[in-house]
Amino acid sequence: MRVATLVWLWALVMLAGCEPTTQPRLLGPGEADQLTIYSTTDTDVFAPVIADFEALYPQVRIRFVELEAAQLNARFLAEERSGRAEADIVFSAAMDMQVKLVNDGLAARHTSPNVDALPRWAQWRREAFGLTFEPVVMLYNPRLLSGRRVPRSRAELAEALAADPAFWQRRIGTYDIATSSVGYLLATQDARQSSEFGALAKIMGSRSVRVYARTSDLIAAIEAGEIALGYNVLGSYAKRRIAAGDRLKIVYPQDYTLAIIRTAFIPKRAPHPRAAHTFLEYLLSLRGQQVLSRNSFLSPAREGPGGPYARLAITGTAVGPLRPIPLGPGLMTYLDRQKKQRFLANWRAMIGTGTELSPDNAAMSAP
Amino acid sequence: MRRPRIRSLRATLLAQMSALFVLGMIGLYWAASAYATLAADRSYDRLLAGSALAIAESLTVTPEGVRVDIPYSALDMLAAAPDDRMFYRVVAPDGRTVTGDADLPPIEAAAAEAPDGLGASERFFDTLYRGETVRFVVLGRESSNLAQKGWTWIQVGQTRNARQDLSRELLVQSLLPILLMTIVALGAVWVGIGRALRPLVRVRAALSARQPSDLSPLQTDVPDELRPIIEGINDFMGRLQGNIELLRNFIANTAHQLRTPLAALIVQLQMVERASEEDRRHGLAVANRSAKKLSRLIDQLLSDALIEHRSSLREIAEFDLKAVIASAVRETVSAMEDHDVRFASPLATAPMTGDRLVLEEAIKNVLHNALTHGTSDDPVEIALDSTETGYRLTVCDRGAGIPPDQLATVFDRFRRGSGNTLGAGLGLSIVRQAVDQHNGRVVLENRQGGGTCVTLELPT
Repeated sequence: MRVATLVWLWALVMLAGCEPTTQPRLLGPGEADQLTIYSTTDTDVFAPVIADFEALYPQVRIRFVELEAAQLNARFLAEERSGRAEADIVFSAAMDMQVKLVNDGLAARHTSPNVDALPRWAQWRREAFGLTFEPVVMLYNPRLLSGRRVPRSRAELAEALAADPAFWQRRIGTYDIATSSVGYLLATQDARQSSEFGALAKIMGSRSVRVYARTSDLIAAIEAGEIALGYNVLGSYAKRRIAAGDRLKIVYPQDYTLAIIRTAFIPKRAPHPRAAHTFLEYLLSLRGQQVLSRNSFLSPAREGPGGPYARLAITGTAVGPLRPIPLGPGLMTYLDRQKKQRFLANWRAMIGTGTELSPDNAAMSAP
Repeated sequence: MRRPRIRSLRATLLAQMSALFVLGMIGLYWAASAYATLAADRSYDRLLAGSALAIAESLTVTPEGVRVDIPYSALDMLAAAPDDRMFYRVVAPDGRTVTGDADLPPIEAAAAEAPDGLGASERFFDTLYRGETVRFVVLGRESSNLAQKGWTWIQVGQTRNARQDLSRELLVQSLLPILLMTIVALGAVWVGIGRALRPLVRVRAALSARQPSDLSPLQTDVPDELRPIIEGINDFMGRLQGNIELLRNFIANTAHQLRTPLAALIVQLQMVERASEEDRRHGLAVANRSAKKLSRLIDQLLSDALIEHRSSLREIAEFDLKAVIASAVRETVSAMEDHDVRFASPLATAPMTGDRLVLEEAIKNVLHNALTHGTSDDPVEIALDSTETGYRLTVCDRGAGIPPDQLATVFDRFRRGSGNTLGAGLGLSIVRQAVDQHNGRVVLENRQGGGTCVTLELPT
């Protein structure tokens, strides 16, 4: 009967669906290593998190490389191709590009109980991880808009733009989606979410909308009074500037509020995989998520008590339906070469700017 | 080959049934896993085809080239397989990739594999791409636009994680009930055998409750399957009863046979005590004869017991039959000195396999009979010949012979030829038993011109 016993065991093993759940190897306490982070987030936004991690792992030497999303993408791909990988963690708000890199099989798997604590839309394949969650808002200068009705939704914004062309002329601003990867992601998501987005873009175009490549420039323009309202501003930047004393106000669009998820992955060819897994695990841990939200004005992606609104420290009534952009292959749609060309062409036609498609972006969208 | 010992019916049955179940499970596993893969492929293939179709519907072929507006849903619907990577491309009639990943596995190969080769309907294939097995669908759209004449191909691929998950789930769902059923069935066998074997316990109780002398048939009620055992026990007890009765008769007979010569001897010795000098000699001679007869009777009883005993020992060895005959002749003749024996044989030696002691006993008995029943004038003739199967030994005398109506019964115990004085009737019974043990045959016939011939046919 020994053979029969073996057969039974074999059958049980097959039935158990033996998927190997290998936990990543992490750094031991006091173990020395290096860590290179490629990130789109401004260094000082991320600084508290890095400081806290360094307190936990003082022996890890951290190099933080801050890049614009498209540059980051191009640099990472170039290093991959040449075989001189430098990045241990790639952290970017350009979710679509991150998903594309993961889809191309460049990311390493990371499994832990902390990963399971993430909401469904905040991780993909256990390779791409949404660490922070931030609403995309309208930011206005109350000084300029005093006495006027503040638009609470996209429809109200379009209405206001149409009702008072003289006031709004060159006083509305948003991202230059041809140069800002995050701006492009947000615009394409808007196009997907709302059929009225075309109308909004058109009316913004007819009010000579001013476009900015960087969030900080856009916010600075609002603060300076050059423009009255910024459309699709990243919430964390706005909050940080408000906390720093800028007299600005945030509107969470009530038709829907997009939420962008800053996405991290560990490259398969990361030169310091153990430090990378350790750092990622720290970011996913409760402590890391708390430090992220408390000191960086980034909302943690991980579900806390009280739901998503509690994370934002705002009441549910002030916000429309919150729509986190889910991580997944759908995000690659607008990276399609033809799709992107057409979308940018339409955008330029609508807002009437003569911005040329930069060669960087053309290269980036190619597979 | 040694036959395996049967330890327990329950264990044997369980072992065989579980082996059968395991084999069944293996078979079911292969069948179910093939089916599960097929089912998973079918459902996810629809998704894949839907995605390709959505892309195909966004195709426009202009003189400048093929235009594609990938719908968000085309890629997003593949997120139904949440952890799978996906790849796509559109290839213009001139073979250039219009959009998507240009390094996808070639479409021409896939199209050539298809039976119709037209590409009107979608076609699926699995291949290794970027380190993972990827399921691809290829969909063709024909355009008659003059500048871009020919087929535009849409290729969409997806890794197989979700399919594997689904097929594994299907497999477990289908095999788990069978596994549980198997365990329940084995448990039922375990309990059922215990219940079925309960009558055996009753039989044992009935047997152990009996007096040792009680050999009447068992009346315990048993299932049909156990009836042969009960019948076997009853049959055996019947034979045992017969045997015991035979033994009782034998003892009674033996006692009787021993008592008669012993009583005669006592009387004769008493007479000798009181007799005159001349009568005393005659009386002693008579007493001597009685003692000899008694001794002979005891010899025969012993040799009967010996043969009975040895038949259960079965000490088989090789020996020379001729030497055995010679030894038997020597011993018998020396006991009865006033007789003549002639032994003739054309054989130099007669190798034989069997129980030497038993055969010698038998031959001695035959000789003794011949010497006792024959006359002292004519010698007893012994002849040993070889036959096709073995040996033929004949012992002939010139005695009175046996009445034809007794020829059949002389071989039974205590059945003596009539009109004779010596012998208790054990001799020929011993001979027959000994010859039977050697698969031989013994024939007794009257001789022409008076006397008897005993023929032993002994196969080697």
